[in-house]
Amino acid sequence: MTSLTHQNSPLRLLLIYGLCALALLWAIGPIYWVAVSSISTRMELYATPIKSWFPSEPTWDAYIRLFSGGGQYRGGEVSPTDGLMWSGLVNTLIVSILSAVLVTVLSTNAGYVFARMKFRGKGFVFFFLMLMMPLPIWVSLIALFFLVSQVGLLDTLHGMILLFVVFLLPLGIWLMSTFVREINPEIEEAAMVDGCNRWQLMRWIIYPLSKAGMAAVFLVSLLTVWNNFLLPLIFTRGPDSQMLTVVLSLFVGQYEVAWEDMAAAAVVTMLPPFIIALFFQRFLIRGMTLGAVK
Amino acid sequence: MGRASRRDLLFLLVILLPLVVLVAALIYYPALDTFLTSLTNENLRIRRPPKFIGWSNYAKLLGQSEFWTVTLRSLLVVALTLPLELGVALGLALLLTEVFPGRSFVRTLVLLPWMLPPIVNGFLWGWLLNGEYGALNGLLYQLGWIDEYVTWLRNPDTQILWVAVVQTWTRFAFPTIILLAGLQSIPTDLLDAAKVDGASAWQNFRHVVFPLLLPSFAVALTIEFIASFQIFDVIWTLTAGGSAGGAINPFTKTLMLYNYELVFRDLRIGLGAALSYLILFLSLGVAIVFVTRLYNQSVR
Repeated sequence: MTSLTHQNSPLRLLLIYGLCALALLWAIGPIYWVAVSSISTRMELYATPIKSWFPSEPTWDAYIRLFSGGGQYRGGEVSPTDGLMWSGLVNTLIVSILSAVLVTVLSTNAGYVFARMKFRGKGFVFFFLMLMMPLPIWVSLIALFFLVSQVGLLDTLHGMILLFVVFLLPLGIWLMSTFVREINPEIEEAAMVDGCNRWQLMRWIIYPLSKAGMAAVFLVSLLTVWNNFLLPLIFTRGPDSQMLTVVLSLFVGQYEVAWEDMAAAAVVTMLPPFIIALFFQRFLIRGMTLGAVK
Repeated sequence: MGRASRRDLLFLLVILLPLVVLVAALIYYPALDTFLTSLTNENLRIRRPPKFIGWSNYAKLLGQSEFWTVTLRSLLVVALTLPLELGVALGLALLLTEVFPGRSFVRTLVLLPWMLPPIVNGFLWGWLLNGEYGALNGLLYQLGWIDEYVTWLRNPDTQILWVAVVQTWTRFAFPTIILLAGLQSIPTDLLDAAKVDGASAWQNFRHVVFPLLLPSFAVALTIEFIASFQIFDVIWTLTAGGSAGGAINPFTKTLMLYNYELVFRDLRIGLGAALSYLILFLSLGVAIVFVTRLYNQSVR
């Protein structure tokens, strides 16, 4: 807002940094506290009324308990959650990575078709694929549940992958068609003149030149699947298919796991999104805002 | 590239046909099926073949006080969240357009909560607000603002307020980004001209910046309306309770939780399907009103 040529006065700069500190307390404070909780000793964590904001003896015990014996009840007994963390983590990794890869490839292909090719009914097909994107998922959800259970895809990882791919496709196609449009068409025309067929064109020209767009779609998809709760809540039962978000919700409600163990479970659940958001924020913001604004 | 050649047609079909089939089978067909179900009395608790009952489910919902309580509560969540969220977002956007060393670092960190799983955010804040060992209590106690720990989430009347706070925390990054982009598109000579004319910072904001930001506000408000109207995950771990088959806390039961309860707890499939469609029309309707209103204002 202030024009870029002005130098801030020291007083103004002080005010700005004060406000930044407030902003960071609001945005990062809760994350900091759950991270601290997960590595604090029980004595320190439950101390009242004065909390210790920096753990004096940081410990990985909560993580070790979580992944070896299962979390502990607040009463001190071992809960029947052994292995749930492992299976949840593995299921989430498999489903999110495979869904994201599939969405990226499928929507790059379709994005190319919509950006570059002319054919009868193109507008209709595009509209058909996009129309349901902004609608609440519940409109399909109920009948989808019975459909998925009839074809035997309930409680399976490939069922989850299929659902996520379908629900992410519209956004992916939308994004990739805008990214492909930014490629200089002369490169493709030259390749076609040299005798490339469409598949070779995709392989040697389109994929390499839309790497940034593909990365954005991949990361947004990965994050969306990782963070999603409703679909795994409804479509999975049991450790063979339950994803991390569902496991965490079980810890919170059902099992009354000790707070420090639950904090560790929360950190595990949000660590990958946190890291992706920290290092690839530019890609994500482009994909996520375009998707939201349309 | 004129009309598609035969080989191009094959390429097209191989790429698009599977996608069209998948979307038709897993989105359109279930959406239609859900609508048809909403016209029946299907209830898995009662063993009988479902019967066509016309619009009765819709009439039943609209004539029932629980539906209106839950709808009003969803609107209350929206009404509490949007001003809070847009206020936070506007403040942050104004702060982050300032030029200062470390700005991109601050921006990266401030935008992070949006990218975390909402289900974790509910737990995160539940732990922060915990009445026995919570960090908020510790902080306020050490600042001398409270004399003893408060169980923030116990009072049913204020639970919904905390839901709005956590929803704000989950989503404020998105409107911040939209408003930041809006601010950056305001030409600097316009602001300089206002300054030369002797406008104060407030006048500058009120009469130059704010009107130019209205379209960005419209976008942010619409998206955030839909997001907070359809709130589910955050409530699930913050105040819903109700796991292991227990009853869902009625004081923070919003439309999405009610829908989940009807379908997957009470197994009243027909009624739940009708509710899904009512939610669709409610959110579409309000979104349209919002956009046209704000659009008209910014154009006029």
